[in-house]
Amino acid sequence: MEIANLPISASQRSKLLSAGYATLSSLSSLSPSHLARDLNIELQEALEILKVVSDAADRSKSTDGHHQALKGVQTAWDMLSEEQMQQHITTGCEDLDHILRGGIHCGEVTEVGGVPGIGKTQLGIQLAVNVQIPVEYGGHGGQAVYIDTEGSFMVERAHQIAEGCINGILDNFTDHDRKILACQEWMQPNSFLSNIFYFRICSYTEQIAVTNYLEKFLKEHKDVKIVVIDSVTFHFRQDFDDLACRTRILSGMSLKLMKLAKTNNLAVVLLNQVTTKYTEGSFHLTLALGDSWSHSCTNRIILYWNANERYAYIDKSPSLPSASAPYSVTSKGIRNSTSHCKRVRMM
Amino acid sequence: MLTRFRVEGEGERSSMAENDDLGIERTASIQNPTKPSSSIGARVRATHDDDEDEVRVSLRPVLPHSSSDLIHQEAARALSVMDSFHQPWLTGVELLDDANRNKHVLPTGLEGIDVLLGGGLREGQLIEIAGPSSSGKTQPLQMQVCLHSASCIADKGSVMFLDTCNSFSPNRIACMVNQFSGPLFKEAKERRLERIMSSILCQPIYDIFELLDTLHQLESTLKHTVKTGGYKICLLIIDSISSLIAPILGGKSPQGRLLMVSAGIVLKKLAHEFNLAVLVTNHMVGGEGGIIKPALGESWKNIPHVRLVVSRDQQSNVFTATVLKHTMRVAYYIHVSEFTCNTDINYSQMKNQSKNHRILNMLILHLYNVPIAACF
Repeated sequence: MEIANLPISASQRSKLLSAGYATLSSLSSLSPSHLARDLNIELQEALEILKVVSDAADRSKSTDGHHQALKGVQTAWDMLSEEQMQQHITTGCEDLDHILRGGIHCGEVTEVGGVPGIGKTQLGIQLAVNVQIPVEYGGHGGQAVYIDTEGSFMVERAHQIAEGCINGILDNFTDHDRKILACQEWMQPNSFLSNIFYFRICSYTEQIAVTNYLEKFLKEHKDVKIVVIDSVTFHFRQDFDDLACRTRILSGMSLKLMKLAKTNNLAVVLLNQVTTKYTEGSFHLTLALGDSWSHSCTNRIILYWNANERYAYIDKSPSLPSASAPYSVTSKGIRNSTSHCKRVRMM
Repeated sequence: MLTRFRVEGEGERSSMAENDDLGIERTASIQNPTKPSSSIGARVRATHDDDEDEVRVSLRPVLPHSSSDLIHQEAARALSVMDSFHQPWLTGVELLDDANRNKHVLPTGLEGIDVLLGGGLREGQLIEIAGPSSSGKTQPLQMQVCLHSASCIADKGSVMFLDTCNSFSPNRIACMVNQFSGPLFKEAKERRLERIMSSILCQPIYDIFELLDTLHQLESTLKHTVKTGGYKICLLIIDSISSLIAPILGGKSPQGRLLMVSAGIVLKKLAHEFNLAVLVTNHMVGGEGGIIKPALGESWKNIPHVRLVVSRDQQSNVFTATVLKHTMRVAYYIHVSEFTCNTDINYSQMKNQSKNHRILNMLILHLYNVPIAACF
């Protein structure tokens, strides 16, 4: 393996190369002080380089002689049985769950976008509440991370949705059981609220920082089963002159989120805004952040108005066909669409 | 191929390096000749990829040679050692023989695409598929093609899928495999499914360094299996390579481009040495005048052997594949093949509409006297 392929900074790499080190083996038997002298760098830095080198050397050694030694490789057969065991997080709306085959998938990044007022934040809060439904009642019994960049998270609304969710569970029981259940501690809306970890983000630097911090946070909070970012776009749509730089930052961030989703087996839900795009002589509404961002989510759901009804449309998914389903936003949260739920027009 | 030598001596060192056109870099550190009384110990270290040879040369000033002569002698000797470290040459006949014997063509299962590619994915080549993902209602078609070929080829050998977007869907593959199996008994179907699914390997990758690392490991694994005659990987898919490269490409530092090119080189090397077909996916970006083009820019452009662009007409739901570059075909003309796809769950059944085959644009006529009809 060559030095150029090591995860070290560009300046370190060029120093190594100009000092005549090109392969791992040329570095393997060096002492840190020797390297520090050769490269004219701090001892600490030399130590870090050598650590990276020895890690890489260990990895390439461990594969010798074992053909199955590629780390993290799974066969599709194993993954299939794993996928069939997988629980999904319900959205609260049966029609929507149906087209999503059970709800939002864990281990994947799902992007939800739509015009203002369509119910993106509502869906975000609903998911943060629904993930906490105990396993016995068909949920995950998990916790939620809510990253709020716009300041649109309303705690009263979360309380209300939690109440709606509790009542939904209670509806399945007889009066007698209901009384017993209602006294239990987890059945209080406040306990639902205590399991939502809320981060308020005020700039894109903070957003990058929190994405990096999540890895550590999720190690300490193993129960977290969903991460909602509301919205991923907000800070990136303003104060950004260098679009190439924005693309780089965003694609790096999306890879981190992908990794979080896979390693911790949790659902990442990104809420996105819409923008207009000029194609073939007319303007279309499309999700913000451009074409390259559209590759950075596993699934994409677009929320839109159809006449007076709200609809969700699966725009992109590796496993699901495109389909759309109506839903409505009620005081209890996201529910099936009913005919009397009309859009209130404020004219 | 980069071969590097270090000649180390005790005491003060001066170093000289030269670069020749063959890409061989030579470095020799030479003993300072001001101390003739001490014995001169020089260590010649030759590193050639993973194999390492060490030649110990001990120099003692027995004859009253001037020490600079001695140094020149030793330097010449060191350089002659490294001259033996190059790949053996092959004649055209041997190459042809190798191509006929080892470089098979793997059909993707999509007739239209197979016709365009001249039978399918050819082992030993790097094939790129680019396509837009979210131009309104577009499906991630390139991924469908990937999954489709994975399910098709897994029958013959192993397929390795490096997944960067968590988009590998075993459920989907199971659906496709079952579609092809035809009228079989349920048990036989189960067994076949298990066999095929077990020969598809998947690994999530979220970092370019992780990718290079994995490829390196894959290389040593394959080297080992070639010796022992173990299982054979015949297709390597990276979906999508652009999402790994996008975070590092651009800006002032050339490191991103360097990593991208070195990933390309490693992929081509793997493809050639171990007879793999390598399929990578790329996304599209808006170019000049709003015309979309494959991402990753000019320096990536000449790396893949074959570049294919897929797009979809939203009204008619017809998918179109266009060859941008093909090393085995008549260069510089683009032809188009259309295939349809249903939007329900069976949309993998992309059917070839052979009547709609047409040549869109013929820029330069046949370079090799290949009649157009032969391309279909």
